Amino acid sequence: MPAETKAIVIAVDRLSKTYPVSFLRLKKLLRRKFKAPVEALREISFTIKEGEIFGLIGPNGAGKTTLTKIIATLVQPTSGNVIVKGHDSVADDQNVRRNVGLSGAEERSFYWRLTAEQNLLFFARLHGLNGRVARNRIAELFALLELQELATRRFAELSTGNKQRLSVARALLAKPAVLLLDEPTRSLDPIAAARMRSIIKSLAQTNNATIFLTSHNLTEVEELCDRVAIIGKGEIRALDTPQNLRTTHTEEERLTIAFSGLSVIDAEQALARSFKPELFVFEPSCPDESLVKFTRAADDDLLDRVLRVLQQSGATIRSVESERATLLDVLESYEKQSGELPSLS
Amino acid sequence: MILFLRRIWAFLARDWRLELSYRMQFFLRVLSILIVVTTLFFISKIFSGFADPRFGQWRDPLAAWLTGLAVLNYFMTGFSSLANAIRQEQVQGTLESVLMTPISVPTVIVASSTWDFVQATLFSSLYLLFGWLFFDVHYRGSFLLALMFLVLTTIVLSCLGILSASFAMVFKRGDPFGVFLGTGSALFSGVFFPTQLINQYAGPRVASISRVLPPTYGLDGIRRVLIEGQTLAQVQQPLITLLVFLIVLLPFSLWVFGRAVRKAKREGSLIQY
Repeated sequence: MPAETKAIVIAVDRLSKTYPVSFLRLKKLLRRKFKAPVEALREISFTIKEGEIFGLIGPNGAGKTTLTKIIATLVQPTSGNVIVKGHDSVADDQNVRRNVGLSGAEERSFYWRLTAEQNLLFFARLHGLNGRVARNRIAELFALLELQELATRRFAELSTGNKQRLSVARALLAKPAVLLLDEPTRSLDPIAAARMRSIIKSLAQTNNATIFLTSHNLTEVEELCDRVAIIGKGEIRALDTPQNLRTTHTEEERLTIAFSGLSVIDAEQALARSFKPELFVFEPSCPDESLVKFTRAADDDLLDRVLRVLQQSGATIRSVESERATLLDVLESYEKQSGELPSLS
Repeated sequence: MILFLRRIWAFLARDWRLELSYRMQFFLRVLSILIVVTTLFFISKIFSGFADPRFGQWRDPLAAWLTGLAVLNYFMTGFSSLANAIRQEQVQGTLESVLMTPISVPTVIVASSTWDFVQATLFSSLYLLFGWLFFDVHYRGSFLLALMFLVLTTIVLSCLGILSASFAMVFKRGDPFGVFLGTGSALFSGVFFPTQLINQYAGPRVASISRVLPPTYGLDGIRRVLIEGQTLAQVQQPLITLLVFLIVLLPFSLWVFGRAVRKAKREGSLIQY
């Protein structure tokens, strides 16, 4: 189904959250000191469609956790609303939770003296699964997340990475339509992290699960997410596909071509005949290989033309590397704009 | 209903398994009950032959103490386990993950305190069983009527427990209900001595404290039934008093609890402790 025609699963509308000061009137009356209320989210609006992987990135304290917890019904907004699969997160919170699975980074959210299987069995029963169905589902999830051998081990004995995987397994117990994943690969080794990313992708593509992912691993966000929102000081600073975010941020791309079979001088002369010479910087790389570096506007045909000239002059192209702005550059740029991050230059 | 029972079962199974991982604690608790019963048996021998005819329930002090302790243990569970249930999940860090399932906060509280009631039933029965088995303590009257008093008083105390849980949810610590009822019940409800003695030695003002405590009526009713063998018609007064407590406290405590949950969710402090 094309993305445009897919149903909206999460709708966040003008959502604001200010953590109030407890017993403010009493404190004022008693002339006690109190901290100012904390404004965690300000007028946030966006929608997420079925099967979409939506990333939320931003510095610590930007409002990611608050937003996740509001979607998960654990915190109530001050104003605005969140609708998940047609259910309001405040007025109809139980139905929202029926449709949502949350995997957080908090290890203490399990019973440490129970085994991995006993833990999942408990949560499965709370989701209303009966014994046999629950056991079958747990076996499926253990197989999916490669946890079978750890089923009878106490939670306390599991490694941090396996605890993380168990947390994802718990989020998937009731086959939720929406998955809220907070740094799902945080403690995993590179192979397990790659496997987890492939599971997340397949959940969205095959099962049409809608995934809301917060992470500080920007490469992962870039790899997984269809769209990414950048949040800072409680406001959405930008929201687009990772590619568009990078392009909007900078329309230029730095390219490095490694070639052999042609000397640097011959290459310089060949390119000078077709282009402005000051466009290029040449560097010898190793005895039989040289590098030419240049910048082009994203998506123009300069690369194609340069490659053709070099090849026609007898060069063999060894590799082409491009350096575009990463999500980190984009994030840093927004934070610099808002004054949250000091300029490094 | 089936879903509710399934969830109760989930909590029971979880707590049973957790209990199994601390076996020694269970056996020490059973042993301590036996030691307390034995100690009270010897203390009761000091008073044999000195029974005051004004205190009919105290002709056999051992029987009065054992019913007092058994019932107090149950009442305190009714009162404290609800707040403890929330607090324990908060301290363990598991409250958030439990609340992420489609389960309401009241169900979490009721279900997670179920194991405490199972344990309290067992331990309270042990007081009576050890007295009967080893020290020739006999109970008469209708066990069903006594059970009715026990259940009614426990529900009334659970209402106070709900108020206590509301307090734990908002203030996290420093629950005044716990202090008042915990120490107050043991002192003023007639667990260890007849409440009439308070009036005699401390005056009617202090004695009036015992009249506002629900355990006083629960304990009086149970002793009248089990020790004096009174019938339903004879125990109407404590029964009606307990019903009045229930009618007032149940809606009030549920209202306060709803407000506390809303406040904690607004402040984002539901899982803080």
